[in-house]
Amino acid sequence: MKTILQAINVNKTFGTKGNIYTALQHINLSIEEGEFVGIMGPSGAGKSTLLNIFSTIDTPTSGEITIDGQNIVTMNEEKLSDFRRNKLGFIFQDYNLLDTLTVKENILLPLALSKVPAAEIEVRVNEIADMFGIRPILDKYPYHISGGQKQRAAASRAIVANPSLILADEPTGALDSKSATSLLESLSTLNESNRSTIMMVTHDAYAASYCKRVIFINDGQLFKELHKQDLTRKEFFQQILEVLSSLGGGHHDAV
Amino acid sequence: MTLFSIAGKNIRKNFTNYFLYFASMIFSIVIYFTFVSLKYDNSIQSASDSSPKISSAFSGAAVVLIIFVAIFIWYSNSFFTRKRKKEVGLYSLLGVRKKQIGRMLFYENFLMGVLALIVGIALGSVLSRFFVMILMKAMGYDAITNFSISLAAIVNTFIVFMIITLITSFQGYRLIYRFKLIELFHADQLREKEPKASWLIALLSLVLVGIGYWLALQNLANSKAWATLGLMVTPLVILVTVILGTYLLFNTLTVTMLKLSRRNKKRYWKGLNIIGTSQLLYRIKGNARTLTIIAVLSATTLTAVGTAYSLYYSNRSSVSLVNPNSLMFISTNSKITSQADTIIQHSKEHDVLYHTTLELLEMDADTSGLDQISQSDEQTFTLLSNRDFNRLAKQQGRGEALSLHADEAAALDPIYIKGMSPEYVGSSITLSGNGDQEKITFKDLKKYSVLNQGTVYSTIVVSDDLFAKLESKAKTMTLEAYGITHQDKAQSLTKELEGILPEKAGFSSFYRDYASGMESSGLLIFMGGFLGLVFLAATGSIIYFKQLTEANSDKARYLILYKIGVKKREIRKTVAKQVMFIFALPLIAGIAHCAVALSALSRLMQTSLVIPVVICMGIYTCIYLIYYFVTVNAYYKIVTNVK
Repeated sequence: MKTILQAINVNKTFGTKGNIYTALQHINLSIEEGEFVGIMGPSGAGKSTLLNIFSTIDTPTSGEITIDGQNIVTMNEEKLSDFRRNKLGFIFQDYNLLDTLTVKENILLPLALSKVPAAEIEVRVNEIADMFGIRPILDKYPYHISGGQKQRAAASRAIVANPSLILADEPTGALDSKSATSLLESLSTLNESNRSTIMMVTHDAYAASYCKRVIFINDGQLFKELHKQDLTRKEFFQQILEVLSSLGGGHHDAV
Repeated sequence: MTLFSIAGKNIRKNFTNYFLYFASMIFSIVIYFTFVSLKYDNSIQSASDSSPKISSAFSGAAVVLIIFVAIFIWYSNSFFTRKRKKEVGLYSLLGVRKKQIGRMLFYENFLMGVLALIVGIALGSVLSRFFVMILMKAMGYDAITNFSISLAAIVNTFIVFMIITLITSFQGYRLIYRFKLIELFHADQLREKEPKASWLIALLSLVLVGIGYWLALQNLANSKAWATLGLMVTPLVILVTVILGTYLLFNTLTVTMLKLSRRNKKRYWKGLNIIGTSQLLYRIKGNARTLTIIAVLSATTLTAVGTAYSLYYSNRSSVSLVNPNSLMFISTNSKITSQADTIIQHSKEHDVLYHTTLELLEMDADTSGLDQISQSDEQTFTLLSNRDFNRLAKQQGRGEALSLHADEAAALDPIYIKGMSPEYVGSSITLSGNGDQEKITFKDLKKYSVLNQGTVYSTIVVSDDLFAKLESKAKTMTLEAYGITHQDKAQSLTKELEGILPEKAGFSSFYRDYASGMESSGLLIFMGGFLGLVFLAATGSIIYFKQLTEANSDKARYLILYKIGVKKREIRKTVAKQVMFIFALPLIAGIAHCAVALSALSRLMQTSLVIPVVICMGIYTCIYLIYYFVTVNAYYKIVTNVK
């Protein structure tokens, strides 16, 4: 099996002399192709910092990170942009759809940026819109559709260019439970049938229970790792809750 | 911390936003100060022959300037206040009273105004000396006078700008009371909706501009449209149709075009075109009014300066058209004539190129055969013999000669305009003298004269035979014509001759017309140029801060783009494209309007204005480009400042 993401001894500190805050410490992590990994932890644990570093929009203070065989720490600004465009797909909590573009245009944006021929774009967008069930709203603008639809549009945009790794940052954070379930099921299907690799940061145990593996971070360090293996989703959810309560964060907010 | 010190702090923190506004305000104060100083200063007036004209010209220019500046400051102030709705909302939420917030904004505006005024007057005192030098040069004087800054000018500038500052500051204070707290917080969150565009209105905009252009380019003399609408109403119609058309063009046609361009998927779905086009589509409508004002101002400025500059540029040729001889006068008395001749022959600065004495006749004529527009049928003409014409034409270096026989004649009309002047060739007029009538027929027309227009009537060349026949029946006179070297510098010679020649001699000199032409057109260029620069600076800074506001609200969008892998270089490119669109529209419209106005004018003035106008447009575009680059840079900095 191919390793998509490999992080070796990643550290991140903020601040200057005398007033240093350590956000991440000795993070070692690897994600294989076709995995659906959840990252959990209480607020301030370093989840977002880790995600930003993997997204290449922030840099680690020290450590090695390889994504799809390329070392992202040594790349320059220009190459990083290309890298993000070609290898990574993003889903954000607040969707980050451009409100001046239709849903369709939002989805095809990464393809347009990579100068894919228009005919091919058309085919690809329709394919993905069908997968997420948003075909009827393709010509609508973001302010005309619901939060759940927005997030599915954002997810469509994330995978339209066939990225090696999809990074999701609290994708269900702004959704009602029904939309959240629907989105998580879509991501799950995407992972199973397309063998897409997904890394999802969340503080919601319910969302995490859709993952195949959940990694817990506390105070900037790896704390524990859970594998779903043959457990049902409900059993896995209980396991996650147990770890969370041991973290002392008291994350019983969603069932 | 007092309200006053918060106001001071706000200015300092917001200085990058205010900078261009502040700079244009200072610039307009400097120019106003210069104009007012020139109005009060009398050193230029003593150097000029037409002194009262200059003072009143500068008073007029100062009034135009002050009206414009007042509108500009008013607009900018309310713009800034609106922009800070959120901040005002925050203060309100914290429990600061509206009265206090209003006072704070009042202090801010007032402080800026006073600061700009002080800097402006200080700079003005230094620079006005330099500007006066430019003016003297433009008006054709070498001598630099002892120009000094007058207290009256300082006081005038101070009072006028203080009033404007007070009024506009009070306006900011008033605006606060109109805000509602809930609105203040939603100010930035208003959803932008895709603008609608109607094909009909888009078409209408083109039709309106088309009508305006068509009317402007009509030949005044034989246009049916002008005849029906009347000479007073038509220019008004042109103005209204062009301005309205321009507005609709920016408001609707651009939206329609952008929407159309989205249909071409191959282009639209390529790289950042998708972003640039959609951004523009959303923004252009909100900018339409500003862009229209800028286009109209640009057109007005360019036309005014272009006209002044072309007058300046063509001064020599137009003066020599009216004064083909350097000096010319009627010999009234042989003693004075020989005295004048001695002065001219012995002049140290000038050599005489030729001297000719001519016999002329003056006769009344019935001109009903000339089908002139609205002029009486009686006109007095000066008659010149064929022989004398050929001699003088040769001396003036014209390679043309006439050969007229019997009742044939040739008209000399240096201000001939096709369609407006009578069609001479082929028509006849009847000369009358001492009860006798003599019919002559025009065989030829020369679009120049060999005689100075200031000394004689409209001139007709007749055959030598006819001239001899008429000599006894008409009033005769003797004319002295001189060609000299350095005719454009003959100030002292002209003055001296003016001193001895009587009024009746009808003395005309190339220098006199040349100098007064230089003076008035130089003055026009100076005023037009500086007014134009103030307009340019002010409108440029309006686009600048409008664009920066947009940049601030676009920040989030560019952050998304950055995250999904758009390079900074690409962002810069798309920003440059969008801003280019906004800047180019009013400039192109302004230049097009100006080109039409000037080609109408150049037909009227009978001169080609191409070179001076192209120079003006070039300079204007260059300054405009500087604003463009500054704006692109600032915009780019705002949207890429993500970390």
